[in-house]
Amino acid sequence: MEEKRPLVWAVAELRGGDIAPVTGEILACAAEISRLAGGTVRAVVLGREVFPAAEALAEQYSVDVTAVENQYLADYNGGLFKEILANLAERSSPDIICLGHTSRGLDFSPGLAVRLGASCLTGVEKAAYQDGGLVFTRPWFHGKLAADFRPLNHLTVLTVQSGCFKPDGLDLGGGRVESEVSKVVPDRIRAGSVIKARNSASELTRAEVVVAAGRGLGKKENLAQVQRLASMFPRSAVAGSRPVCDMGWLGYASQVGQTGSTVAPRLYLACGISGARQHTAGMQSAEFIVAVSTDPNAAIFNVADVAVVEDVNSFLPVLMEELEKGRGL
Amino acid sequence: MKILVCLKQVPDRESLIEIDENGRGGFRLPGQVRAWVNHFDEFAVEEAVRLKEKRPATEVDALTIGPESAAAVLERAVGMGADRGVHILAGDEGYRSPLVTARWMAAYAVKQNYDLILTGAMAEDDTQAQTGPMLAELLDMSWATFAVSLQVALNGLTATALREVENGFQEEVFLSLPAVVTVQTGINKPRYPSLSNILRARKEKPETIRAEDLPLAEAGEELVAVRRPGRTRAGIMLEGASRDKAVRLVEILKGKGLWP
Ligand SMILES: Cc1cc2nc3c(=O)[nH]c(=O)nc-3n(C[C@H](O)[C@H](O)[C@H](O)COP(=O)(O)OP(=O)(O)OC[C@H]3O[C@@H](n4cnc5c(N)ncnc54)[C@H](O)[C@@H]3O)c2cc1C
Ligand SMILES: Nc1ncnc2c1ncn2[C@@H]1O[C@H](COP(=O)(O)O)[C@@H](O)[C@H]1O
Repeated sequence: MEEKRPLVWAVAELRGGDIAPVTGEILACAAEISRLAGGTVRAVVLGREVFPAAEALAEQYSVDVTAVENQYLADYNGGLFKEILANLAERSSPDIICLGHTSRGLDFSPGLAVRLGASCLTGVEKAAYQDGGLVFTRPWFHGKLAADFRPLNHLTVLTVQSGCFKPDGLDLGGGRVESEVSKVVPDRIRAGSVIKARNSASELTRAEVVVAAGRGLGKKENLAQVQRLASMFPRSAVAGSRPVCDMGWLGYASQVGQTGSTVAPRLYLACGISGARQHTAGMQSAEFIVAVSTDPNAAIFNVADVAVVEDVNSFLPVLMEELEKGRGL
Repeated sequence: MKILVCLKQVPDRESLIEIDENGRGGFRLPGQVRAWVNHFDEFAVEEAVRLKEKRPATEVDALTIGPESAAAVLERAVGMGADRGVHILAGDEGYRSPLVTARWMAAYAVKQNYDLILTGAMAEDDTQAQTGPMLAELLDMSWATFAVSLQVALNGLTATALREVENGFQEEVFLSLPAVVTVQTGINKPRYPSLSNILRARKEKPETIRAEDLPLAEAGEELVAVRRPGRTRAGIMLEGASRDKAVRLVEILKGKGLWP
């Protein structure tokens, strides 16, 4: 008997009724898995007044789409997402469910996996076919290692790390939209308002040189060095990793990363930053990256053009002296 | 109100890692490894202690799963003001699937009638961010992730969390208790343990449960290989004394037109 072709779902993300950019990457990951495993891809999209987005999705990527309309989904609700997707999965038996590695995807995918008796892998960066099965690569150990994981269940729920699967020119050879209405109502989780809590510092997003401070600085007083170094460059700004902002050394408007600003300056100088994915997500498109850390294995060195293994507090004064000396030479 | 807060001991970020030659998932942390409390979990403990301070008749249990040495994180939690520690003693078997972690936690928590369970948003070392939402499903509780604010209603039946999402936005979520909330850093300023609490922590040993005595929990995935990640850029490593490195760096910046 011929085996059923694996069905790979790509669960789309919408923002304010429109398709969020991450959706393309989720589809690209689903397409890659489907290519490796000889399967088919179907996009799934949930929301209120969701049909226009579903049509747009089907058209943009030529992908077959299942659209689920639910009147309570004007705003994201994790309880409804888990419930509706679990119901749909029980009826259509997907083999792989791909979601965004986002505040939403991460909110309900682990619970969905448990509900469906599925394996759950978050932050997937690569898929491969090995020894008769799929293997997924994700960062591990503070991002210092890449690890391959093999799911042990018939079904896998995974979240797709952004920046790893490219949707350019993706054409999935379908384009039909199936739609249904879900009558599930919110129960013990209800969505309230959505608040814009933080803005990026405008000098940060415009800067050509960004000097970024991390927890490796040790104490707030050491920030002065970073500020002094930044001030040597025209059109520069000081930024921080999340812990630096949490500790109040810098305001949150200066935070770079997944929950902060995304910057792409000509030069990014990371001082005492380990290079967690959530940080590098906000700076990996900088033109030139220099990193200073005492840890020779820090993950930040994997995305750096120049790696300096030094104590940042003793190195920055020496660097500033040499910059002065080198000026105009 | 009864609160459970889960905290994990993680290896020092600067630990050296040796990978087994065959690349089949084996790795070691050679030498004396310092270990500390997962950064996110300190905020979870602080949040639990603050809730207790606001509501007199509140009990806070702190739970960890790990080898003998993990008892240190319970001492810290009690030092910060948690009432008691619970240690699920498990061997240091390298990789543990979050599903196993969550099932063991659920096996303990199901008998305790917690109103609120707090976890960190993610473990710094394995960065899964799965345990909290899995626990909510296993215990059939409501949940919210990445909380940067948490209020429990006076009647102790509902809670309001603000979840941090992308692009500077926060989403308000109303929860019926019991609930699991995963805590994002910055929600509060974790305090230092107090001396009197530390002394209490040393005197009152945590409740210890052997993982073998809990119902068997199967992993959802297996680790098949580990390696150093590829570099996305040239990644020149500067050599020599600090002065040499600074001189070389200035040359490179000048070469790139980044320094006049
Ligand atoms: C949902 C979510 C969103 C997040 N969003 C963000 C975000 O937007 N931005 C962000 O930055 N993080 C974010 N994080 C946190 C992220 O996971 C890391 O915890 C954080 O980036 C670590 O900051 P760090 O590198 O400064 O600190 P650490 O990881 O502690 O790194 C410090 C580094 O400095 C080195 N060091 C120590 N002493 C010295 C010294 N004297 N000289 C030189 N180097 C030294 C250490 O070896 C280490 O490499 C988020 C996490 C989650 C779960
Ligand atoms: N071994 C453990 N012991 C106690 N709590 C844990 C353990 N592993 C994970 N957790 C909790 O679950 C959160 C998320 O971990 P993870 O899902 O592994 O990223 C952590 O911040 C802890 O609060």
